[in-house]
Amino acid sequence: MSAEQDEATAAEWLARQDRGLTVEEQGALDTWLSQSSLNRVAYLRLKAVWQRADRLAALKSPLPSQPPARLRNRTVIAAIAACLLLLAGAGWFTLQHGLAAGQDYATGIGERQAVRLADGTQIELNTNTKLHAEVTKAGRIVTLESGEAYFDVVHDAQRPFTVNAGSKRITDLGTKFSVFRNGDDVRVVVKEGRVQVEQVGQPVASPLVAEQGREVISKGSETLLSSKPDHEINNDLSWRQGMLIFNQETLAEVAEQFNRYNHRHIEVAGNARGIRIGGSFKADNVDVFVTLLHRGFGLSVDQQGDRILVSR
Amino acid sequence: MAEQPIDDWFMREVLPLEPMLTRFLQRNWRNEAEISDLRQEAYARVYEAALRERPQMVKPFLFQITRNLMIDRLRRQSVVSLESVADFDCMNVSDDRPSSEAYVSARQELRLLQAALDDLPPRCRQVVVMRKVEGHSQKDVAKAMGITVETVENQVAKGMRLLAQALDGRRAQVTGQARRYNFFKRSRHVR
Repeated sequence: MSAEQDEATAAEWLARQDRGLTVEEQGALDTWLSQSSLNRVAYLRLKAVWQRADRLAALKSPLPSQPPARLRNRTVIAAIAACLLLLAGAGWFTLQHGLAAGQDYATGIGERQAVRLADGTQIELNTNTKLHAEVTKAGRIVTLESGEAYFDVVHDAQRPFTVNAGSKRITDLGTKFSVFRNGDDVRVVVKEGRVQVEQVGQPVASPLVAEQGREVISKGSETLLSSKPDHEINNDLSWRQGMLIFNQETLAEVAEQFNRYNHRHIEVAGNARGIRIGGSFKADNVDVFVTLLHRGFGLSVDQQGDRILVSR
Repeated sequence: MAEQPIDDWFMREVLPLEPMLTRFLQRNWRNEAEISDLRQEAYARVYEAALRERPQMVKPFLFQITRNLMIDRLRRQSVVSLESVADFDCMNVSDDRPSSEAYVSARQELRLLQAALDDLPPRCRQVVVMRKVEGHSQKDVAKAMGITVETVENQVAKGMRLLAQALDGRRAQVTGQARRYNFFKRSRHVR
């Protein structure tokens, strides 16, 4: 029985009660009520509403009628607007701070930062990231020492924009892209436009050019170019909103992602590592994630200081 | 009836939390069509628990039961809304202060009821007005309106359901676009 059917039956009973029940009817109602708590709560819910409606008797004397919900909605909208203003203000403040040329930027674990270079290019630093940016008349060079950053580059043919990440050099050809670096592993995701990726110190005849919707993964000297649908690109960049979005990644991979953002590290043991995970999480809310693993998958979660051990 | 005190308690302590509960479900449950079912099931669990022992703090108890219920359902599904699980853990319902939205003033209550009444279809509204505002019996209403008592009874049944719906705190449904659909998928071959 659905709630709707129970409610319909309950309403019939209450309407009959409202006109007066015979003894047989009362017996039948009692039977129905005792059959299931679902019946009983459906009945009590409507009974309460019908009793509340007794207060309508007050309407016999004239009462100023007013639309009720409007004001509340307006208050909510005002509150949202105020929050947006605050956010915009905070963003502007951050942007103002990054105007100088030749500067170091760094974020700690779980932090993010948006900076704007003198040429108008915007950089968003993800968790645990270090980079150096130099803007001169001759060119613009960012050195990504570690971590991940998203670049929204103001194109200027006279002043190439390059990102050095380990042994890779990424040159902007008018675009928005992100670069992740972990030692010599580099991953470039192109959201718009094109970038050129090359090995530093090894000028190649035909450098690799990655266009919008492409991902370049390089491990040491191996480089792989693959295409990615828009929504996957957006998932990869969800950290810009503080979110991690997964689509059938293994728990081991997911844990590794979380660990980039948090001081407390998830360690997954045994065959639990292979469980496939999808969904979106706040990157800094590791507690919710492990609670979910426990409740949703029945995994055991053992917190030991800064280590969270997860196993079957 | 042995259940009478529990019935009264349920109507007095649990049901006023309905608008809050409904909005909680709306925020955390993707399938709008299942919200009434979930709510009813949560109520039934609370009721049964109260038959054994009445909970001290009603609000946290109701929300905890609802959360568990949602998680049970999520576990049975292969596709799970993740925002849900994240959100219900973020929501702080551990304090039992009477929430302002649960206990409305008499004046607000009357406004709410009046707005709900005004939204009823004309004939249904007229029956409810005669029965509740003017205090006529169903029989007198039938006579005054020139309709059968059965029709009045049907309109009363319909009226109370519509009032309950109007008062359950549900917000107007947002468009599919505006809602975030993110899923927590449980791979079928992993077990």
